Formats: sequence, C-alpha cells, structure tokens
Amino acid sequence: MSGSPERPPERAPVRLERSDVRRAFWLWTFFSHANYNYERLQGTAFAHAMTPIIRKLYKTPDEITAALRRHLVFFNTEPNVGGVIHGAVIAMEEQRANGADIDDETINGVKSGLMGPLAGVGDTIDQGTITPILLSIGIGLAAGPTAAFGDGNPIGAILYLVAEVAVMTSLAYFFWFQGYDRGREGVTALLRSGALDRLVVGAGALGNLVLGALAFQFVHVYVTLTLIVGDGHFELNELLGQIMPGLLPLLFTLMTWWLLTRRHVSAIWLLVAYLVIAMVGAFPFFAGSAVDPTTQCPSILHEFYQPDCIPPPSPAP
Amino acid sequence: MRHVNASPLAVRVGLLLTTLLFGALFLASPALAQDESAAGTSDIVRAALVGIGYYLSNSPWLAGNGGFFGLYRPLVAGFFVGIIFGDPVKGAEIGAAINVLYLGFISAGGSIPADPSVAGWVGTALAMAGGLDAQAAIALGVAVGLLGTIIFFTRMSVDATFAHVADGAAERGDITGVARANWLYPQIFLFVISFIPAFAAVYFGSSAVSFGIDWLNSNAPWILRGFEIAGGLLPAIGIALNMRFIFRGTVWPWFFVGFIVSATTNGGINIFTLGVIGVALAALHVYFLGDRAEKAMQPRGA
Repeated sequence: MSGSPERPPERAPVRLERSDVRRAFWLWTFFSHANYNYERLQGTAFAHAMTPIIRKLYKTPDEITAALRRHLVFFNTEPNVGGVIHGAVIAMEEQRANGADIDDETINGVKSGLMGPLAGVGDTIDQGTITPILLSIGIGLAAGPTAAFGDGNPIGAILYLVAEVAVMTSLAYFFWFQGYDRGREGVTALLRSGALDRLVVGAGALGNLVLGALAFQFVHVYVTLTLIVGDGHFELNELLGQIMPGLLPLLFTLMTWWLLTRRHVSAIWLLVAYLVIAMVGAFPFFAGSAVDPTTQCPSILHEFYQPDCIPPPSPAP
Repeated sequence: MRHVNASPLAVRVGLLLTTLLFGALFLASPALAQDESAAGTSDIVRAALVGIGYYLSNSPWLAGNGGFFGLYRPLVAGFFVGIIFGDPVKGAEIGAAINVLYLGFISAGGSIPADPSVAGWVGTALAMAGGLDAQAAIALGVAVGLLGTIIFFTRMSVDATFAHVADGAAERGDITGVARANWLYPQIFLFVISFIPAFAAVYFGSSAVSFGIDWLNSNAPWILRGFEIAGGLLPAIGIALNMRFIFRGTVWPWFFVGFIVSATTNGGINIFTLGVIGVALAALHVYFLGDRAEKAMQPRGA
C-alpha cells in the first residue's frame, strides 16, 4: 500500500491540540509494554498511543483503517528516550492529514530508521546509567553502610522509586515534545548535537563512582590461608588487607568484568561457576565435621565463625 | 462521532486498580504485622499480596515506569514484601542484596536470562519465611529468578495473538478495539500467568524453604555457609555486567575512586553523600572534556 488515501481537496485544515499530543504521550507511557510480544514487540502499543491522533485527524473509515494498519506494524525502541520518534510521527501525521505529500513509506522509514539507534542510546542512558546510579544509591542506603545487615534504611527503596519514576517520566515527556516540535530533522539534529553524549559521559562518571562504592559494600571474598613462618602465623586475608582494604574483592570484581567483556564468558556460566566455587569453598576440608554443626571449622573461603576454632595449618613454604 | 472515546478509560481503570490494590496493601499491613502467629488466612493473604505485587510490577498500571523501573526492581519489591511480612527494614535489606545481581540488567536480549521481579517478590518472601539473612538470600533469589523466565517467554509468545485481534479491529476501523487489544486482553492473561505462580510459590514454598533450611542447619550446615559465600561472590557479576556500559572511555578511573573511598572508610561514607560529590565531579569531568565529550564514551548505537 502506498500513497495517501483520497481526500476531498476542500477539506478544512485539522490542527492537533497540545492536549491531544499529551494524551498520546500518556497512553504510550502507560501501555508501551502492555502487549509486548515476539511478533510485533511494541507494535500494538504504538497504534494504541496513536488512537487520539487518528481520531482527531481522520474521519472516513478508509482513512482510519489505513492509519491503524500503518501503526500496527513491528516496532521496538527504548520507551522513554524513543518517544522522540512518536513525537516526530505525530507531527508528520498532522501534516499528512492537511494535504502534505507524506506517504506510508516515509512514515514507516522514520519509525524503522530511528527505532534502532534510539533503542541503543536510550538503553545506554536509561537502563545502563541512570537506573543503576539511582539503584546503587537506593541499595546502598537500604542495605546499610557495610551491608552488615540490621542497620539498613528502607527509605532507600522509596527514594529510588520516587526519583526513578520522576526522572524517567520527565525525560520521556521532554523527548516526546522535542520530537513533535522539531520534527524528524530536529530528532536527527538532537542526536548529532552532542547533548546526549555529554549526558552519557557525566552519568558514566557518577555511575562509576557509586558502583565502585557498591562493589566494596557487597563483594566479599575471604581466603582462609595461614602462612606459618617460624613462630609467626600470618593470615593471608589480613596481609592483603594491610596492603589495601578490600584488595581481594576489587581484584575479584575486575576479574569478573574481564571474563565477561574480554573473554566473553557468559554471565549464566559465571553464575553457575561461582555457586560451585562457593559450595566447594564452604566444605570443611581441613577440620571439623561436615554434618555436625557444633564442630564447624573454617573452610577455604569462609571466615572463622567459631571463635574457638583452631585455624588449620597450611603447607608451610 | 462513531467511537466512544475509550482511551482515558484505560488510564482511569489503571489508576483505580492501582489505588485499590495499594490501599488494600497499606490498610492490611498493620494487621499483618500484628498477626505473629501467622497461621491460616494470613498466609493466604500474604501470598496473595505478593502475587498481586508481582503482577503489578509487570503491568502498565503504574504509569509504565513505576512498573518496569519501579516494582520490577528487587530493591522496591523487597521493601513491599517486607511491609507484607511486617518487617520493611529486613525486606528492603534482602531486596537490596538480591538487586545487586541485577544492576546490569537490560531487558532487551538479557545478559542473565532472569526475571529480577520474581527474584525480588518471591525470593524475598521465601527468604523471610526461611529466616535467611540478606547475603544468603542472594543465591535463593537467583534460583527463583531463573525460573521466572518461563513466565516471560510464555507471555511474549501468547501476546502475539492479541496483535492479530488488533489487526481485525483495524480492518473494521474500530479504534477502540485496537486500543482494547493492547491494554485489556493481554492484562487478563498476564494476571493469570503471573499471579498464580507467585501466589503458589509463596504459599506452598514458604514451609518447604523453612523446612529445608532447618534440615540443612542440623545436617549439613556447610551448605548454608556456601550460600553466604555465594552471596559475597555473585554481586561481582551484577556489578561487572553494569561495568560493561560505564567502565570505559575516559570515565573508568572514577570506579577506583568510589571503591577506595568506600574501602578506606570501611563503608562509613553514606552513599547518598558520595552521590552528591559524584554529581559535582561528573560535572567537572564534562566541563573539562568540552567538545571532546562526543568521543569520551562512544555509547552503543550512537
């Protein structure tokens, strides 16, 4: 199907109100993933968001059916930043209803051409940086200063919820109206302006800072190894801690990052491997009994939880 | 006009449902907290509230973002489960610990094929029922989260049917019908496939988990130590998955600054304070980069 449906040339111009565009925005914000599926992804949600626009712009059954069909096709993008596409498409539909030469291919081209790049930029901004930053802060507060448990502050969860929804929804509102006001050329200009790059860089700097703090709070690696030199007992964990607090957890986190990004080990494989390592590391090989809770002695990866337990001798160098 | 204007109806229904469900939760929470003997009906009510919470986290009713970016996250889920079980502090702690693993969670593609929401809602509920501490609860949350992917795949497959319902409505020029195929029918299906498994897992799983943990405690306690050790190792995966996006370009050194500030104060620095300092440092970073910001991160797809 191509070309615009026939329309009477004497037809009076139809203009969208700001409220129509806003209504479409809320429909998309609420229902973008209401019918998320393998065949069209957000296809039906796009059409749903366009319903107030279609209702206002098109009056004949043929026009309405054509417009609904046009927007029921496969569509997938990041719903908040990607709203800029909807804004631009609404502007195009408005021009088309008023006789501008915009055919189905042009509208489809804008949708399918922009949805990929904006999914990339949007996911990086929303799910890759802003969400983890706010989550890190909320998690850090809710878990307590050392994740020692019992000293957490549940306000962290509320703070995250309120801040996240406020930031995401205002971001979405901003991009939606940028798209509508500036049109498709404006969207391309916005992508090229470098404003998004500065946002990503700034968020990246902040994100790294809080992520580093969170890594110390949550990653715990403890090695039960005692070096016996002459009369002295040196616990490896303490020695490493004297070089730098948290050295082992830091190295362990960097190793995980390296395995994931440089060696392309899958996360699910690491998950299984770490679980196995934890179980092996928990087994009391050196002393104590595996079945009797009262004689538990330290295992390879667990700190001494029985104060009177005698550390197992490690092979002396 | 031929068509009833149904679009605001969808929004109104959503707001009504949300208000009702949250109202019920907050009205019920004092009663649930007082009822320490936790027998019979209150178990059913608790499990049902967890099921409703899990459904809501996948639903559009909380302005979209309040679902996927809100209740879907184990931190938020854990807090609400904590209210349901009468201990929001403990619930938020467990939720926070489970959430670290899903810090780098990106819906599309999925680095860990997992459902953070079910890990948060059901995982926290089971951990609280079994009396696990937050670090040991991480491994339990991961296991539950893996099972949750079944629900996601079922939903993604079956929902394609409603796209064809929408096609049919479009042929008739039925604008309201297209809208309904998007917001109404898939939600009925989603409620069934998310509420029932979550409810059943909490209602029947609670006693099973607490029995299992008691048994391990007296017969193979080292396995529980294993859970705790795993709780110290697994967060590295969540953090590393997120590092893929931001530990790059010119900004990676800040990771070490954050780690060392936290380590030398032994976690004593409040993370919110650190965040405020971080905003200042990030602003300086952007200012000093000037025009070079464009190449400073090179985000995907840009």
